[in-house]
Amino acid sequence: MAGFTPRQIFKDGTIMKILVIEDDKKTGAYIADGLREEGHSVDLIADGAAGLVQASVGHYDILIVDRMLPGIDGISLVKTLRGAKNRTPVLFLTSLGGVDDRIEGLNSGGDDYLVKPFAFGELSARIGALARRPQMQDEPVLLKAADLEMNLLTRKVTRAGQPIDLLPREFSLLEHLLRRKGRVQTRTMLMEAVWDIHFDPMTNVVDTHISRLRRKVDKPFETEIIETVRGSGYRIDTE
Amino acid sequence: MKLRSLTIKSTPLRLTITFLGIFILSSAASFAAAYFVLRSNYESILEDEIEQAIEVYAAIDGQDALINRLKTDIAVTDTELMILHYQPDRAAPIANVAPFPSAGGFTIVSKKKIDGRDRDRSSSYLALSARVGQGQLTIAKTREQVVEMGEIMLSVVLIGLLPTVLLTSAAGALATRRARRKIDTIQKTLLELTSGQMTARVPVLENDRDDLTEISTAVNTMASSQEALIASMRQISADIAHDLKTPIQRVAVILDEVARKTVLSAGQEDLLDQALTETDRIVKTFHALLQLAQIEGGAVRDRFAPVDLQVVVDDIVDFLDAEADENGYSLEHTVIGSGPFTVYGDHHLLSQVIANLLQNAMRHTVVGSKIKVRLSRDAAQIVLCVEDNGTGIPPEEREKVLRRLYRLEQSRTTEGNGLGLSLVAAICKLHDASLSLEDSDPGLRVRITFQTLPKSLPVTPTQKTSEA
Repeated sequence: MAGFTPRQIFKDGTIMKILVIEDDKKTGAYIADGLREEGHSVDLIADGAAGLVQASVGHYDILIVDRMLPGIDGISLVKTLRGAKNRTPVLFLTSLGGVDDRIEGLNSGGDDYLVKPFAFGELSARIGALARRPQMQDEPVLLKAADLEMNLLTRKVTRAGQPIDLLPREFSLLEHLLRRKGRVQTRTMLMEAVWDIHFDPMTNVVDTHISRLRRKVDKPFETEIIETVRGSGYRIDTE
Repeated sequence: MKLRSLTIKSTPLRLTITFLGIFILSSAASFAAAYFVLRSNYESILEDEIEQAIEVYAAIDGQDALINRLKTDIAVTDTELMILHYQPDRAAPIANVAPFPSAGGFTIVSKKKIDGRDRDRSSSYLALSARVGQGQLTIAKTREQVVEMGEIMLSVVLIGLLPTVLLTSAAGALATRRARRKIDTIQKTLLELTSGQMTARVPVLENDRDDLTEISTAVNTMASSQEALIASMRQISADIAHDLKTPIQRVAVILDEVARKTVLSAGQEDLLDQALTETDRIVKTFHALLQLAQIEGGAVRDRFAPVDLQVVVDDIVDFLDAEADENGYSLEHTVIGSGPFTVYGDHHLLSQVIANLLQNAMRHTVVGSKIKVRLSRDAAQIVLCVEDNGTGIPPEEREKVLRRLYRLEQSRTTEGNGLGLSLVAAICKLHDASLSLEDSDPGLRVRITFQTLPKSLPVTPTQKTSEA
């Protein structure tokens, strides 16, 4: 546990300007401190109305907004921002975790949704994903990591020239990690993206899928491509 | 819901029939009384006439004058109306009819006895014999008018009763249908209220003021207060959840900071991991309870869309198969019959039902057990079965395991929070699907029966919510 350093997540050193609107002092300070340690510039505001003003004028890269706030609640805050054509990515924090709450949050203009309490790794990984939402560039045909190659057209995977036989879902999982090379993907993020599962399955199912994938992709070879990030999730990082 | 048609059990119909019966009986009785009064009145007039006629003949002086007068009278008397019969003591009878039965006092003599013909059964005479001169005089007058009066009165009764009976029956049937319709709407509303649609109300018309309307109003008042109660309870639980989750979040934050900022010995790290695991469990139980409350609230229904159960089952089996396989379980997935297995519901909640049931099966059976998922359909319903060959659940415990936080004694030591099956039950209820726990001999079979999608609903591909 002690081996965890924030630099593992943001290896490329992207520095972002982040506004945290959270009324609980302890949680707010925890988020702000953690993000500052990662090198980001962070402002912390505890009130909804003040947060809305700050978010409108501050030119932030990312907003982290608690759903229940004094003044203006999180949903109205984001709706107002979106109404004013402010497209800054928003990560909602909430104490509620129901199906409805998630969808309501996303419908109001939020980009992602995190239920309290959360591990810092989860928050950090989701911010990483929000900051670099994949732009619709030319679709690559070939995804590469070290000596691993994935051809999206033929759906063939090879490593060091040897073909690797993957099940459809294993292919999707590997593709997801390859497309987000260098960025940590938490178990929840993988579950949502690869299986469209938005509830807590109460077991470490994702770990099982990763270990099966590793058995095919990593085990027969010298170096490991899929890396476990303690306290967070998984990442493919070969630079 | 099955609406009952008009039945004899309906209160208004029973009342109508009873009152109609009483009305018919009382009318018949009063008409009968009137008939008898009129008849006896008429007969006494007849008797007077006969007595007077006899007195007229008795007043004639001399036997020859009497016989002459009788002969004259007999010649002009119509036997249909009056009969004159005189039997002198020592001579042949003078009469306008052949033999006539002698009568002492007033006697009713049927026409048949007089002329042997039976044109009209009801035709009869009222006869009286008396001694006049030297012989026996019998005078009989027709009772035809009495009989006719009886017939007229009977027609009066029938003609008078018929419209009343028809009108009353129609009014009764109408009242019955109206009452039935009101009772049906009340029943429908109560059913909706029971299934969690707390906004359901019985429609009440402004100027309608009968007893059923009073009941409807009472039902509506009850529903309103219950709705308010549930709303405030939900607010309270949301508040409690928020108030409790913040300190839990702080504990998680502190533990995370310890983990990140402190160099710990192996033993300390182990303790910290345990603390993190327990915090995680508290949070998960909390989430499950909140989700349960939300599902039971029923608001999720607004988001319902057609969902292909086969796709959901495929996805979840695919997701859990790896884990099952690693732990030595075998998941068997069969589809009986052809699809579509489309139900109206929420994709995520239905996924959760299948995942919960499969994980429940794995948790409560020994390693190596076989778990079967079966999807089948007929015209009206789609059946989802999850079956294991474990120890099963004793019949008397089956109801209880669906309650929240209830756990079988033998499973206290296994993972889980006792909310999995309650969630399954709540989600089934939300989807109007019936859930039954059965014996798969050995093992547990969970059977969920969904109604198929009404044909009027468009079948679109399974709706997925993505955050892109």
